[in-house]
Amino acid sequence: MALTITINDEPREVDVDPSTPLLWVIRDYLGMTGTKYGCGIMQCGACTVHIDGVATRSCMYPVESVGDKKITTIEGLSPDGSHPLQQAWVENNVPQCGYCQAGMLMAASALLESNPTPSDEEIEEAVSNICRCGTYIRVKAAIKQVAAAGGE
Amino acid sequence: MATSSTMNRRSFLVSVASVGGGLALAIRAPRQIAAMPIRGTDAFPEDTANAATDLNAWINILPDDTVIVRSPMPEQGNGVMTQVGLTIAEELRCDLTKLNPEFASPTRDFLEDGVYTASGGMLAFFAGRSTAEARNAALLQAGASARERLKAAAAAEWNVPVTEIEAEDSVLTHTGSGKTLRYGEVAAKAATIELEVEPEPKPESEWTILGKTSHGKFQNPYVVQGQTIYGIDVIREKMLYAALAQSPVMGGRLVSYDFNAIKDMPGVHSVVVVDPDEVRPEAPVQAPFGQISPAQAGIAVIADHYWQARKALEALPVVWDPGDGAQWTDDAMMREATFAAFDDDDLTELVALGDISTLEDQPTVVTGDYWTPYTDNAPIEPLNGTALVTKDRVDVWHPTQQTQQAWAIAVEETGVAPENVFVHPTFIGGAFGRRVFGDDVRMVVAVAKKVPDVPVHVIWTREEMFRQGRYRPAVAARITAGLDADGMPVAIDAKAGGAGLYLAGFNDGPLATGVIPNARFQNKEMPFNLLSGPNRGPGYNSFAFIIETFVDEAAHAAGIDPLEYRLKLYENYRDPGWVKTLQVAAEKAGWGKTLPKGEGMGIAVSNWAMTADFFGTTVCDVAHVAVSQDGVLTIKQIDVAFDTGKIMNEDAVRAQYEGGTIWGLNLALNEELTVKDGAIVEGNFDQYPMLRMTDIPPINIHFDALTGADRFSEIGESSVGPVGPAVANAIFAATGKRIRSMPFRKEDLAWS
Repeated sequence: MALTITINDEPREVDVDPSTPLLWVIRDYLGMTGTKYGCGIMQCGACTVHIDGVATRSCMYPVESVGDKKITTIEGLSPDGSHPLQQAWVENNVPQCGYCQAGMLMAASALLESNPTPSDEEIEEAVSNICRCGTYIRVKAAIKQVAAAGGE
Repeated sequence: MATSSTMNRRSFLVSVASVGGGLALAIRAPRQIAAMPIRGTDAFPEDTANAATDLNAWINILPDDTVIVRSPMPEQGNGVMTQVGLTIAEELRCDLTKLNPEFASPTRDFLEDGVYTASGGMLAFFAGRSTAEARNAALLQAGASARERLKAAAAAEWNVPVTEIEAEDSVLTHTGSGKTLRYGEVAAKAATIELEVEPEPKPESEWTILGKTSHGKFQNPYVVQGQTIYGIDVIREKMLYAALAQSPVMGGRLVSYDFNAIKDMPGVHSVVVVDPDEVRPEAPVQAPFGQISPAQAGIAVIADHYWQARKALEALPVVWDPGDGAQWTDDAMMREATFAAFDDDDLTELVALGDISTLEDQPTVVTGDYWTPYTDNAPIEPLNGTALVTKDRVDVWHPTQQTQQAWAIAVEETGVAPENVFVHPTFIGGAFGRRVFGDDVRMVVAVAKKVPDVPVHVIWTREEMFRQGRYRPAVAARITAGLDADGMPVAIDAKAGGAGLYLAGFNDGPLATGVIPNARFQNKEMPFNLLSGPNRGPGYNSFAFIIETFVDEAAHAAGIDPLEYRLKLYENYRDPGWVKTLQVAAEKAGWGKTLPKGEGMGIAVSNWAMTADFFGTTVCDVAHVAVSQDGVLTIKQIDVAFDTGKIMNEDAVRAQYEGGTIWGLNLALNEELTVKDGAIVEGNFDQYPMLRMTDIPPINIHFDALTGADRFSEIGESSVGPVGPAVANAIFAATGKRIRSMPFRKEDLAWS
């Protein structure tokens, strides 16, 4: 079935079973592989994207539910890695293996968009993704650094 | 480990001479662009030397000054790829922003007589850490040899003595005239130069990068844009996807399946069977590390898209014969069987010192039974890989932790000539020992060879991965010690049992090597069907808990403060790092301060990778916990002190200690796989809880215990060991409840 979804501000047509999870449409049909498969049951958050600006785990989100909502993936977070969180991530040497970090960044960027000065508790609640390498300390530090700088 | 660097340098020179010296090579091909596996570039470089511009097998400098450095060790998050670049740069004196690390090819190593592996020692495999002595020596030599060729090329260009040339920041300067050339301008010429004598790398005291500066990972700017290519991100033209199921009980066999039930589902091409009983060609090559993992019985659905393959696999009727493994009804039965086996008379003796019969004569006897369950490495990138098998060539794109073994397995599985088998390492979404055995490579190639001439990308589901692990084996241990009138152990009797045990941390530590004069250490191998593998310090992560909990029990039985007890116990041990890490961690944590009721501190010290002539890395943790009266545990703080001898990249070390401490905490508090009828029950993170940001206590990493001893020993694994016992010992201090089993979340900690 042919569907049109808007992803990173571009309309994209895909011929896909409408029950297919958005994650696999993004990765496998559209070839954008920054969004990761980790668990498939919305536990780990590696597949986090923005749907109309809200951080959403895409691995159980049927593509037919997207409708005319706007999707942003890590590839659309900034054109060149210039998002303040991306820069703070590099500055703080946050990633270890890096596999979960796109999901972390998408969760964190949605948070700061709606709440530019979150408390520690609000950060922990919004960014509940799993990182097996254990980068949590630096993820939190990078988010707080950006929040403290007012998103600059 | 303590190999001679002179020997290494000599043998390395042979390699340099055969490549940098311009001798004819079997195969050479031009290369267009330097690339890490990053989307939008020529992500997977050629596996052959570039005759025109290779300065040696490790280094190629492009006209725009880009410095390609080739890392045989894959990048799994520990920063190996970056460290290889920095070590080469220490001698090459290039602009660090020009470094472009990529992965070395095991095929090239084979074609060029071990150009990466012949340097000896720990270099002899494409895996592991970057700071081993033999590797450092080879990398420093590669940098120095390349630098001297660049200088010689510039000297020839200007017709001046080479002694008047300085090399720094990718610029060659003639000291007399001030004339300059960029490295890229003379690299091609430098590649043709033969030196009469290869340069000696400078002494460590003159290093300006290693141990002096901290650098983040070179790939980070790409990671944060989602551009780095992990195994799962590989896309090849005309590629098909496979969803894989292996016998739910390890060692079982496929009985039947019904392709007709799924053949009309969208996108479905075929079903492929992997038969472990198939006769495979004998491997003409053997990887130098670890087993060549045999095939398991498996079945895969091939489809245009992964989700189609997966839905079809779920719908495919499959009948398995579980085989003998089904006899293991549950993990409780396995646990009981292991402890019962300690009474058998067929245990393997590992250590026998003095006279163990003196144990019973001591005024105090302490004994404990300990248990750590099966656990999975559970990296967030599920197992996967892509292979293209044709009649006479094999290509494998794979997130392997052991590139050379992956290559050897692909050779063995296909029977294709080794020089025509190519492994293209990708970035790895976590490994922690799970991707070191190559069972994943085996299954990928075994599936792909049944769909020849088309790239096939096989992806495990998370559930399949949990249930087809190479697990941290369950460990049962029984330790008994006799304490003398001063409360110190003079005899110890230790037994460990399980299937596929790694014994690191059991029979190699101070308690087994002379600190206690009378010692017997034995182990019992059980016939369980579940396969085991390394898990961030194989053996160590269980035995550090077992040994250091026992030491704490002995301290309390003796009525001596646990810190004081350990300082006394280890005071004459050969490695001063044990006492020093204890002192530093305790001091930083404020050991001994008065705490409110329901709070306590625990301490533990352990060592990863020590051998008879190598001290490895000693780590001491102090955990501060609070336990509410109804048993809710809060970790308030963890202080970590370690001794790797010396360090090369402070921030990389800190990151590994942060992550490893969290790993150890999760292992202790949360992780457990259970067994039903020979199969693993847990399939995903809803059943296998993971710590998240909100659960992470303040973790303080202290560098003050570094002894400066002449080694750069292991970081990644070492951090894990003391976390669990430090927390368990703290719980005891807080509640009086002694924890002898992991995971702690199953313990009732309520007190009154």
